[in-house]
Amino acid sequence: MKALILVGLVGSLWAAPQKPVTLKLYPAEIALSGAGASQQLLVVASGADGIDRDVTAEVQWKLSATGVANVSSSARLEAVSDGKAVLTASLAGAKAATAAVQVSNAKAARAYTFTRDISAILVKRGCNSTACHGSVKGRGGLKFSANALYPKEDYDWIVKGGGYQVLTTEVKGERIPRIDFKDPQKSLLLTKPLMVTPHGGGKRLEPGSADLQVLTDWIKAGAPFGDDTGKAPKLVKLSLVPSMAIVTMGAKHRLLVTGHFSDGHTEDFTHQVLYVPNDPDVVSVSADGLITPKTRGETAILIRAAGQVASAGVGVIGDPIVNYPAVARSNFIDQHVFEKLRRFQIVPSALSTDGEFLRRVALDLTGTLPPPNRVKDFLASKDPAKREKVIDALIASPEFVDYWTWRFADLFRVSIFTNGLSSKWAQGYWEWIRDNVERNRPYDEVARERLSAQGYSPATRHFLPYNVVGTPADTMAEEVRVFFGRRMDCAQCHNHPYENWSQDQFWGMAAFFGRMFKVGTILMDHPVNMDLSSKDVDGKIEVLHPRTKAEVKPALLDNSKFNLDPAGNPRKELAKWMTSNPYFAEAAVNRIWGLFFARGIVDPVDDFRSTNPPTHPELLAALAKDFQTNGYNLRHLMKTIVMSRTYQLAYEPNATNKHDVVNYSRSWARAIDAEVLLDAVVDVTGVQETFSTAVSDGGAVGQAPPGTRAVQLRDPDTFYSRFLELYGRANRGAVPERNARPNLGQALHMLAGATYVERLGGPDSRLGRLLKAGATNAQIIEEFYLAAYSRVPTAEETKAVEEILARRPDREAGLREFVWALISSREFAENH
Amino acid sequence: MKTHRSFTLVVYLGLGALLYAADKPADPRVDPAMTSIHPFTGQRGSTFVVKVRGRGLAGARAALPANAALQMTTEGVGQEPPEEGSRSKTPVDVVTLRVEAPADLKAGRYAFRLVGKNGVSNSLPLLITEEAVAAEPEGLHQTPETAVVIGSRGTVFNGKLTRRGEADFYKFEAKAGETVTFQLHSGLPQTAAGGSAATIANFDPALTIFEGGTSWFDSARLRRIAYNDEPEFVFGKPTDSHLVHTFAKAGSYLLRVDAFAGQGGADYSYALKVLPGAVPYVSAPGSGGKRGGGGEGWSERSFTRQISPSRLNELALRGGVKPDRPVVENYRALPVAVEQAPRFALPGNLEGEIANPGETHRAHFEVDGPRDIALEMETPQQAPPYFNPIVRLLNADGDEVATNLFAGRGACSGALSKSIQAKTIVPLREAGKYTVEIRDATSDLGGPGFRYRLQVRPQVPHVGDVNIASDHLNLAPAEASTVRVMFDREEDYRGAIAVTAEGLPAGVTVAAGADFEPDKDEPLTKGKRERYTPRTERSVLVFSAAPDAPATVAPQQVRVVVRPVANGKLGDVIAAKTIPMMVLAKP
Repeated sequence: MKALILVGLVGSLWAAPQKPVTLKLYPAEIALSGAGASQQLLVVASGADGIDRDVTAEVQWKLSATGVANVSSSARLEAVSDGKAVLTASLAGAKAATAAVQVSNAKAARAYTFTRDISAILVKRGCNSTACHGSVKGRGGLKFSANALYPKEDYDWIVKGGGYQVLTTEVKGERIPRIDFKDPQKSLLLTKPLMVTPHGGGKRLEPGSADLQVLTDWIKAGAPFGDDTGKAPKLVKLSLVPSMAIVTMGAKHRLLVTGHFSDGHTEDFTHQVLYVPNDPDVVSVSADGLITPKTRGETAILIRAAGQVASAGVGVIGDPIVNYPAVARSNFIDQHVFEKLRRFQIVPSALSTDGEFLRRVALDLTGTLPPPNRVKDFLASKDPAKREKVIDALIASPEFVDYWTWRFADLFRVSIFTNGLSSKWAQGYWEWIRDNVERNRPYDEVARERLSAQGYSPATRHFLPYNVVGTPADTMAEEVRVFFGRRMDCAQCHNHPYENWSQDQFWGMAAFFGRMFKVGTILMDHPVNMDLSSKDVDGKIEVLHPRTKAEVKPALLDNSKFNLDPAGNPRKELAKWMTSNPYFAEAAVNRIWGLFFARGIVDPVDDFRSTNPPTHPELLAALAKDFQTNGYNLRHLMKTIVMSRTYQLAYEPNATNKHDVVNYSRSWARAIDAEVLLDAVVDVTGVQETFSTAVSDGGAVGQAPPGTRAVQLRDPDTFYSRFLELYGRANRGAVPERNARPNLGQALHMLAGATYVERLGGPDSRLGRLLKAGATNAQIIEEFYLAAYSRVPTAEETKAVEEILARRPDREAGLREFVWALISSREFAENH
Repeated sequence: MKTHRSFTLVVYLGLGALLYAADKPADPRVDPAMTSIHPFTGQRGSTFVVKVRGRGLAGARAALPANAALQMTTEGVGQEPPEEGSRSKTPVDVVTLRVEAPADLKAGRYAFRLVGKNGVSNSLPLLITEEAVAAEPEGLHQTPETAVVIGSRGTVFNGKLTRRGEADFYKFEAKAGETVTFQLHSGLPQTAAGGSAATIANFDPALTIFEGGTSWFDSARLRRIAYNDEPEFVFGKPTDSHLVHTFAKAGSYLLRVDAFAGQGGADYSYALKVLPGAVPYVSAPGSGGKRGGGGEGWSERSFTRQISPSRLNELALRGGVKPDRPVVENYRALPVAVEQAPRFALPGNLEGEIANPGETHRAHFEVDGPRDIALEMETPQQAPPYFNPIVRLLNADGDEVATNLFAGRGACSGALSKSIQAKTIVPLREAGKYTVEIRDATSDLGGPGFRYRLQVRPQVPHVGDVNIASDHLNLAPAEASTVRVMFDREEDYRGAIAVTAEGLPAGVTVAAGADFEPDKDEPLTKGKRERYTPRTERSVLVFSAAPDAPATVAPQQVRVVVRPVANGKLGDVIAAKTIPMMVLAKP
């Protein structure tokens, strides 16, 4: 009944104001080659509101030439005979859409190959998934490569049987082939998925299905592997239409999947892939790519073919908004964000108030609360350009340098233990970061220097945890995580379960760091064509593959060629490649974006993978392009972000966006990081913090100079702070280490800790100075509201505080409690 | 009675007789030790008062400068309670001295010792300058508001960070384009080392220049525009600060003095020099990490030692034989392929500069039979860790015969480790052509300053570095004490070493001895250690005062001298050290 109502509602909205304006037929050019070739069709109607709707089931089909092909009832164009035709899709009220059709080799049957046909079936049926036989150790004695990344290995397992060992390639135990050549019908490859033989994975094939027929025919044909010369066209990419589908409740939408081959030709893969929604509560997807919404929300659909993974976004929207408001846009960020919001029928919140904006932008750009006098001036100013002016002032402030030095000291891990065990080396590394921030050095330059640092340069120190060269595997994984935003760690021991990264690729990348060698206090890359006394102690400079035990040569992820001087620095080649790879700019802008919006366009910011697609891929690409075009200028990137209306939206939600958490339809509150929070407490109370060295050794104990702010501390090892430990200061032992989750210790510290209770009053405190100046309660309340919240208190708030104070016999004690209440409040501890 | 005796002792290898006669004295006498001086800087032509803090200084009656032109008078001795937070509960001795620095005294460091009832102390330097000297005004100066005003360039400020976390601010005006040099000398000078500086008691200062009025948040907040902790943090080099800055715009600026990790206390004295223009950094004489203490400047394995054309004769003298070796000729190695490498003859100096990153220089020589050769590398300008020269010796087949990299295994993990050595000795067993290759350890560095001089020569047996490990000696009657003399046998030197002590106080005798040396673990993997490390041995001199030895009024300068012995003859002095010695009065 409910479904009927929804269908009726959608239908009525569509029928009246949402009439289709344009009709598009996908694909626009269709080339069918070979016997049985087919192409799934998709027709999309765009309404006046810009929402696209799958009308494939509603259109009428017409082919200009008969006998070339047929359109099936499920909108599948099937080759009949060689020839050309024009396919037309018509829908009442809209201009018809056409596609050019060409059929060739319609009678020529293609020979089965394992890679093209059998792997495809296995992947589509989920056999190669990491939850099944594609797991690290396989399942039920059968091991496939995840996502059919290594078809030859899979083939051997099926035809010869195998035994998998994680750390070695040696096969142990009995080999059990999954094929019975004498009686193909008894092959385990068939009987298991048919559940004729008990199968832990359940029934995966239906009797009489086309896939079963292919498998059977293949076995009967002698189970050939096919062309193993490597010359056969390989599937190199999957493309999707649409990449982001918007579906209203009650409607359906099909995905078209196209496989791109290494020889340039394409084939319809819509029926040859596995569809897995990331959030199955939002949508379900049929085996032929038809999306059925379940509830409002947004998710990604993972699409797997043999050796390839892609993902599409899908948003399930509610009732379309009839009069969707026009929203002002400041720059290209808004174009992308607001366009998606419109398609999702979410109205962004209003522009933030001046006070809200000022506090947010000051914290985000400088980690510093704006002082009351600046807040008052800003609130009073009528200058239409005041927001941009304050942004420029903040970016030019010394606090900006301190704050971003601290941010990058976190990311680049400045600590004594990770930088050679010498506090001076850690300091040198920190100074290098600070200099880069202060000079606004192009980020690609910074990355190249860090990746390829040699000699005694400060940037080499991060390669020397505990004063020894870090392992190539750990070092590479960290650099890829920092500069590519990707986590390759899993592939260290086995092929990556969620990505198309193999163990070989991992170690090929790791090998770039395999020649790093510490000589005295410097870092060099040991030449591979010189022994340099290694034989004196039977030493070798090489990276060995953990399974094959063979020496691994440096290899880039995309297998692109590079010059490798045997006596040169291979990391320079890696750095050059990494900083020119699109991953680099995307990862950088996403990381910075995440700091301004509490979540990345890909989130977590260093977990790019096909199973974790960006919420706004076009925005990510546009930001990356802008970053690249502007010389990898971080300040330009930050200004572009904070100048956008998207960034400047209010925290207050409206009816359409109150549940939105991923589309930036409003500002999202996030906890202020430990160092910034401590500095904020100091700023509001006016009582400085004292940072002492952790090591108590009589006269050797040190203390940071008066006025030192928490974000100015170089490393977490020199100066101890109970507050910072409680509130999640990163120990920088790994990336990332920051833990902002609330804990009991924080609550107790808030109640009784020195950070809060010992700086509420006193002659030099903000409260003490106000009392000494004879300020009234109302003046004191306003000053603290301005200092803590960057806003004036409402009349109700002032009245409530004054009433409480009036009941207290000790005015100063009451005011201290008021100050404590402010700095303990959620509004204070969050940036919103 | 003759008070000056001379005693000569010849120590032959393998003597090994044990003469450790030094029973520990029952008297818990504290050996006098000066910790700090404040102020430690004065202008020549002036008289100023300094306070020396330390232990065992009670009863100090005189200060003895190494240079007699400096007049020092003891004005008082007192005590201060231990500092708050200090682990020590012992009061600190404070000696007040009046110092007169003649106007014609050359600027520089002047060491002195204190003499008192506990004997002679260690040595600390006073800094005599040409510039006017001003004292930091009383009180704290750790805010811009209380900053000390720097009126003119060419001034030295004597200051002190009296407690932990203290920072001293100075304020000054600068013109646009003006260059100013700020030098900060620590009163507890430190040399760079590994580990956490936060736990080191010595005073590692830092200088920061700030400008105000640039913060949108608070005009009182400061912007850091220049910083220096030390000119270069290289193990063994001083950590004093040296900041040269050219001001882009005219205005008021602040200079902050603090300690690296915020240390401070009664001993944290400093001298801040503010000089016009860019004054190059010159490290204090004697600073640096060279092992020494009595080697008369000899350094066997420093990359910055000078390898002169007469090197062979210098080595011959240290081997106790006649210096009749030829002068070593200079050649150039070139960045060419092995086939085009120029020829040079042994002994020869190869000189050059790695002008471009990744450049490899080559030259070749020939030998007509087995030769024991030495490869000595000098880097006269940039030295490790900046220029790290790698030397390879290849035979005619292109095989690596030797390098200047000492390969070993890590003590903990057994991991392969290598260190670049300034000297390698190699036995060449086959006649033929050998090619020498020189490059920087990195492939990315090179340029001006990457100069080298590689001497390839026959081996010359000799005594290398010598260390006489004593600064001063105080003996009570009937007391004995030892002085260790360590020396390196280089290039298979098999002769004897003679160690003599001259100028002993009355009642003091010296004997050859040996002391206990704990066994050392064998290296996990030795590698070819013999190519890179000398054979180190040690001798012990045992000084003993007779029960009736008369007390010395002033320190007696005892000279410990080391000579090689070859062919039954004493060679020239190759190391000597003067040690002030006192015999204490009976309690």
